[in-house]
Amino acid sequence: MLDAFSRAVVSADAKGAPIGSSELVALRKYVSDANKRIDATLAITQNVSCIAADAVAGMVCENTGMTQPGGNCYPTRRMAACLRDGEIILRYVSYALLAGDPSILDDRCINGLKETYMALGVPTANAVRAIEIMKAATVAIMTETNSGRKMFEGINSGSGAQCREIAAEAASYFDRVINAIS
Amino acid sequence: MKSAVTTVVTAADAAGRFPSTSDIEAVKGSFDRAAARMQAAEKLAAGIDQVTADAVDAVYGKGSYDQANKDKCARDIHHYLRLINYCLVTGGTGPLDEWGIAGMREVIRAQVLPTAAYIEAFAHIRDRVCVPRDMDQQAAAEFKSLLDYLINALS
Repeated sequence: MLDAFSRAVVSADAKGAPIGSSELVALRKYVSDANKRIDATLAITQNVSCIAADAVAGMVCENTGMTQPGGNCYPTRRMAACLRDGEIILRYVSYALLAGDPSILDDRCINGLKETYMALGVPTANAVRAIEIMKAATVAIMTETNSGRKMFEGINSGSGAQCREIAAEAASYFDRVINAIS
Repeated sequence: MKSAVTTVVTAADAAGRFPSTSDIEAVKGSFDRAAARMQAAEKLAAGIDQVTADAVDAVYGKGSYDQANKDKCARDIHHYLRLINYCLVTGGTGPLDEWGIAGMREVIRAQVLPTAAYIEAFAHIRDRVCVPRDMDQQAAAEFKSLLDYLINALS
């Protein structure tokens, strides 16, 4: 896997040149945004079960047949697999967000995901819907536009408005998963 | 590629858990050193040709040597300094380990290269770093520790 720093190293090595001032501008921004990045990562890790459960519930509510006999979330064993997958995707998104680079998400989560879902008969349109809900929930928590407890309430480290850029980065990682399986 | 962040994330993934508070502390710790590291990387990148030329001159002294040999020596020193620049950016020894040190012994033995000359060159660079003319104290410390790491691997 790569992070923002090693990504810069790999691309500089391809040119055989050292990393100079121009490349360091982006990396200095990554470092100066570190606290926001950490807060945003915590926003995911502290709300995993809630985000995944809401997304799967939302997906089922929109397609009530799924939990009926013959549906893809019947019996509970398959619904549980669905919740587990939601948490796995959130885990890899949190890794990518912390690293500032999607390589770990690509290598260890997305690679082969579509093929696996096809082989298992998972309806990708529904899976995409669940990931879209997770994306919306994650962005809402990070930017404090959610209706529940606010992430920065009671602490002075920042505000939701300051996390917009990081939230957009997180959204782009969810989009990567969506694009890969649709 | 090993760096402070990738080490932490890879370990978390191996255990199948989310980044924990201690993982995040470790990442934060590496960010605290990042400003010094990046300053050292920036100064080194800006002066890499000059530093290489100085080191080669110091090793060869005033004697007359085959220019082709000198050029190859300069090329190698430049290569190792570039890897040190990468290490300063990643905050770990990953680039040196993976691209510089792995297989180095075999190559040195096969080509009968004079490691003592390389060591002298890197020791010269290390001893010549001047604070605050070249870089800040902390940046110089990061740079020197990587030079020592390389010297150690060559010895």
